[in-house]
Amino acid sequence: MSEKPKGSGGGGGGGDNKEKRRKESILDLSKYLEKTIRVKFAGGREAAGVLKGYDPLLNLVLDNTVEYLRDPDEPFKLAEETRSLGLVVCRGTSVVLICPQDGMESIQNPFIAQDN
Amino acid sequence: MASGLEAYVNSTVSIITADGRNFVGTLKGFDQTINVILDESHERVFSTTSGIEQIVLGLHIIRGDNIAVIGQVDETIDTRLEFASIRGEPLGPVVH
Amino acid sequence: MLPLSLLKTAQSHPMLVELKNGETYNGHLVSCDTWMNINLRDVICTSKDGDRFWRMPECYIRGSTIKYLRIPDEVIDMVKEDAQVKSRNRAEMKPRGGVGGGGQNQRGRSGGRNTFANRGGGAGRASSQGNRPLAQGNKIK
Repeated sequence: MSEKPKGSGGGGGGGDNKEKRRKESILDLSKYLEKTIRVKFAGGREAAGVLKGYDPLLNLVLDNTVEYLRDPDEPFKLAEETRSLGLVVCRGTSVVLICPQDGMESIQNPFIAQDN
Repeated sequence: MASGLEAYVNSTVSIITADGRNFVGTLKGFDQTINVILDESHERVFSTTSGIEQIVLGLHIIRGDNIAVIGQVDETIDTRLEFASIRGEPLGPVVH
Repeated sequence: MLPLSLLKTAQSHPMLVELKNGETYNGHLVSCDTWMNINLRDVICTSKDGDRFWRMPECYIRGSTIKYLRIPDEVIDMVKEDAQVKSRNRAEMKPRGGVGGGGQNQRGRSGGRNTFANRGGGAGRASSQGNRPLAQGNKIK
């Protein structure tokens, strides 16, 4: 399930290294396998779960998934509330952002300090 | 077809984005999807209660799908504008 | 000049990325592809309303969700050099092979830009100040 897909060979000979590298995803999800990642979706939903598998289209399998809910009145603010989703498949086309949950933290405004 | 944008390269353009903002800067390049390089750019913020506020932003890549309008700016007219005295309603976002 | 060449040249530079959902991401560009998908490192995420902030060690952003990217001013000059060197190599077409050579004429291009008057002090100067992100712009008046 979690094998890294081989870059879609095609194209035949020639093509410098750059061209080949471009075909491969710039995102190596294997480093996140069995780790908790945070995923943001088109439309505003947000979830975190343990990455169990993926494919080159960015479809993801997440386990122990938690969705971070939003207040319908303030859709761009994350509410404190969460709900548990368990084992889910995330559709790659709707994935907007992926980052490791480990090391992600809410912080105070970092720009004010630097301006002073 | 060569995009009509070629004629604007290295001249000052005004871009209205899908979220209703107005960027003005030098068009340095573009591609098939109308992603655009805007150099020495600033944003013009319109208000009904005070003059136009100009915010210096510098070098930008603006994604094509976020662009509504690109227009060439006549600099002789533009430099004559008194931004402090121009009032205008801010644009709303494009409604899809 | 192509926007994606500029973006590629901006690798390892700090930048500000605004997404269509209004969130902004300040970080150093690690990599990008032809779809404008990007990897950032040492990222600060700012909410749409601009009053919540998150730090993340790295993140991957789908290109199609990007509204715009703010890039340090000096990067555009580096693209020009790249393109010049490439086209010169191509024009020569000597089968001596490899890159090499062409290093000489690379200089001489810079200068001038940084003397430009209102290049908006703080914000645009991010890369010269270490990790300082491209934050909000500066008013002219």
